[in-house]
Amino acid sequence: MDETLEELEIELKRLPPRRPSAALWLELEREFGHEGKAAPARAYRTATNLASWKWRGWRTTGVAAALVMLAALGLEFFARPSAARQSKARQPVSSAVAGPVDQRSPGSMPDRYRPVAASNVLYDLKDEGTVYVDGDVLARRLRYRYVDTYTWKNSSGSASIKWSVPRDEIRVLPVAMN
Amino acid sequence: MAAAHEEGTWKDWFEVHGPRLLLCARQWTRSLADAEDVLQEAFVRYWRHQRQLPGDPRALLITSIRRAALDHARSESRRLIREEKSDRELEGTESSFARLPGEGDERRIEIEAALQRLPAEQREVLVLKIWQEFTFEQIGGILDIPPNTAASRYRYALTALRKELEPLCHG
Repeated sequence: MDETLEELEIELKRLPPRRPSAALWLELEREFGHEGKAAPARAYRTATNLASWKWRGWRTTGVAAALVMLAALGLEFFARPSAARQSKARQPVSSAVAGPVDQRSPGSMPDRYRPVAASNVLYDLKDEGTVYVDGDVLARRLRYRYVDTYTWKNSSGSASIKWSVPRDEIRVLPVAMN
Repeated sequence: MAAAHEEGTWKDWFEVHGPRLLLCARQWTRSLADAEDVLQEAFVRYWRHQRQLPGDPRALLITSIRRAALDHARSESRRLIREEKSDRELEGTESSFARLPGEGDERRIEIEAALQRLPAEQREVLVLKIWQEFTFEQIGGILDIPPNTAASRYRYALTALRKELEPLCHG
């Protein structure tokens, strides 16, 4: 770029843009009210601090999911023998004497719960600032926070189980210097 | 900027960046009142919901301002009000730059008039480059054009301005 253009650039840079009007300031005052102070940076300790209340919440969810799964399996377990008992009652005595032999082949056993869906939802994204990688490469550290959800469905009925678990993913991206 | 962004109040942040953001908003609106409307809309959205997002907050805000300006321009119901406001404001308070003392203000008026005569697509690149100090890559991202196009528009704009302002530069 020639010299006169550079001079013009400098001259333009010296021109100060006008300040927003008092009316706009008032509007913003009205919008933000007492929100004047920026909210303190959120502390993302949940992924590393197992004592966090959020982890307690997730652990409770996990335990609840496990209990639901056990209950579903238990129900199925208890329901099946009673059905077997009913069918056995109708069987001839000779068959009952022969013992409770399950005549189904292993290949025909229904898979009780099959995974049918897996999804993840990004619910938060935080820029954790710049870091140096290998001592001299400037990079930006981003924390992606997901909830992964897996769903299993009972192939012989309509019961399903969902399991959600939080996951943090940290990406370190080189910063382009330009 | 980072300090004001992380720890300051919205007032601190707006005090520093508000004037330059308003200048950008002005490039995509027909009046200063419209520019303030879209700046308000974009800034409130940014401060409430987007502050934690990564990247340069100014780029985010300017993209947001530009979108708000386009939406604003499309709104037929606002057109009449805007034109009325515009007519009133053009009478003297429409300047995008602060007044300068003495003879400097005459030069400011000259420059501003020359800027107004630039094609809009050149002027927006010039404003983003000079007063926001963005790279051509960032400008390309904001305006959705290749960086080379941004660079050439910038050069055309400067060259056109120099031609218009030459008599004063050397006179």
